[in-house]
Amino acid sequence: MTDAAMARDRFRRMAAMRAFDEACLDALRRKAIHGELHVGLGQEAIGAGMAEALRPEDAVVSTHRNHFHALAKGVDRRALLAEICEREAGLCRGRGGHMHPFDPATNFSATGIVGASIPVALGYAHAFRLRGEAAVAVGVTGDGGSHTGGFHEALVMAGAARLPLVVLVENNALAISVQFEDVSPTETVAERAAAYSALGLHVDGTDVDAVAHTVAQAMDHARGGRGPVIVEAICHRFRGHFEGDPEGYRSKEERQRVRDNFDPLRLYRHRLAAAGVSDDEADAILVAEKAAMKELLADVLDMPMPDPAGAMLYRFVEEARA
Amino acid sequence: MSAVAERVNDRLAMPLPATIAEAIALEMERDETILCLGEDIGRAGGVFGATKGLQERFGKGRVVDTPIAEMGFTGMGVGLAQAGMRPLVEIMFVDFIGVCLEQVYNAAAKIPYMSGGRQRMPMVIKTAGGCIGSAAQHSQCLWGLFAHLPGMKVVAPCNPHDHKGLMAAALRSDDPVVFIEHKALLLRKGRDFRHHPDVPDGAYTVPIGEAAVVRRGSDVTLATLSATVEHALAAAEDLAGEGLSVEVIDLRSVVPLDADTVAESAGRTGRLLVVDEDYLSFGLSAELSLRVIDLLGLSGLRQVARLAVPDVPIPAALSLEKAVVPGAEMIADKLRQMTKGA
Repeated sequence: MTDAAMARDRFRRMAAMRAFDEACLDALRRKAIHGELHVGLGQEAIGAGMAEALRPEDAVVSTHRNHFHALAKGVDRRALLAEICEREAGLCRGRGGHMHPFDPATNFSATGIVGASIPVALGYAHAFRLRGEAAVAVGVTGDGGSHTGGFHEALVMAGAARLPLVVLVENNALAISVQFEDVSPTETVAERAAAYSALGLHVDGTDVDAVAHTVAQAMDHARGGRGPVIVEAICHRFRGHFEGDPEGYRSKEERQRVRDNFDPLRLYRHRLAAAGVSDDEADAILVAEKAAMKELLADVLDMPMPDPAGAMLYRFVEEARA
Repeated sequence: MSAVAERVNDRLAMPLPATIAEAIALEMERDETILCLGEDIGRAGGVFGATKGLQERFGKGRVVDTPIAEMGFTGMGVGLAQAGMRPLVEIMFVDFIGVCLEQVYNAAAKIPYMSGGRQRMPMVIKTAGGCIGSAAQHSQCLWGLFAHLPGMKVVAPCNPHDHKGLMAAALRSDDPVVFIEHKALLLRKGRDFRHHPDVPDGAYTVPIGEAAVVRRGSDVTLATLSATVEHALAAAEDLAGEGLSVEVIDLRSVVPLDADTVAESAGRTGRLLVVDEDYLSFGLSAELSLRVIDLLGLSGLRQVARLAVPDVPIPAALSLEKAVVPGAEMIADKLRQMTKGA
């Protein structure tokens, strides 16, 4: 692939992710989403960067802020948006909602409990090893999740057995309001890798090229049987922890400073230019992705809600409809 | 001695954990997606011996000795199930569930529902409960806790035959099943059981969710499960000498709860006693009593009573444990009290 084609693809992927979460905000304003919605705006470079290194047989277990990881893994965006908007035609028939998408077809799942994703990813890694498959399990968490017991326990087991596990830590330095530097015993999460005989990698999570390179390196390491990897991607969350978060822990000026300095799409403009992709073309990509999502959201909002008569279905297999 | 008689004798000399290990081995043989995770289940064969010989036979990949990291390996079970495997996760004592309940009730139990039925969760959580003088942190039953949280089947067998058949059914189930053994039963051999010590050789299943009438009677219905079935049968034998006829029902599972079988019996006898080694309040004894009343109507029973651990941690001193955990004497006293002047 030429530099221009690659740069265009990466930018388009980020633009699609941004447009997806902006559509979610739109849906929220129209009261089509309930509960505390977590959008990933500002963290697009991580989702877009990891997408290239993921193979269909790999697994991703994500977090409460999971939309970009789902798109990166190839989850159908129509079914995903329909699920986020609680529709019967959604990925999980409206039973899961935005924090709990499950897609066995692409080996994608998530959890709304911080840190609980990593032990589940460990299970995929053990299954791949046992079956002799060259697949890798990716467990995503944040800086907050990196302090949990499950994170430690899963890495102890993955390190001891050299399992193909990549732990991707999206370090936005804020566990809701608690700052990473106030609670972490180490300067980085990646440096803890040594304790688990894992490879620790640190990357600028606002730089899609750097993320793509680093995640590819991590996946190769794990796929090659050399054991687990911690990839720490430093990033910035533009919005509150959830929509409605009063963000009493940071000022309006601080929020603006983050948007001005760490927007991965804006930062990528100079790479696009260097690769020969014009600003006009980049603008056109943004417009096209936004329009596509607007159309998709309109379709989704026309879809029927789940029938209340089905509220008890799917707890057990015998309740599952054919 | 005939071959059949020898086989029966072997079975009667067999510790209950060996029967459980046999059930797991038969299932692992017929289905290579089954694997076991837990502390001391491999090299040691389980602290009670319920996984003895499995690691030698099926290897370290399918019988995994884990570190003391329940949150880690229970979540690993969830991931294995999502990846198409059928994990059996052993939590050595059910009291330890507190450190990994997250993966049990938020993940394993809810994912089938949260995924709209698209993600199956074939996972067995095998664990030991019950009182054997081990005090507050190693004596609980907790089946009421699991039953309160939607999405799990909860099984607690009382005899060798049902341990083997229900373990096979649990491993073949596409839903999460919590399989609670009782420590007092795990320390017994086949011949020590009053009821159903006979165990067929090959693989077979006992359906999950069907109670069994283990003693016929006409004056009062006693419903219970796990080791308490043995106490109930002992009490019923004693009371038979006093002219009282007790029908004893082994519930076998808490979810699904077979209230129909209990209601059919209680409708005949007019009296129901529910005995539970788990805590009294907000638990099995009240739930079953009310379900039976729902089925029979308020006038369908003359008496309803319950006997359970009275909302107190299990004490260390045996004299105190005996005072709070329903045993044969306590059950017999309660039955006498209920039927006095009847």
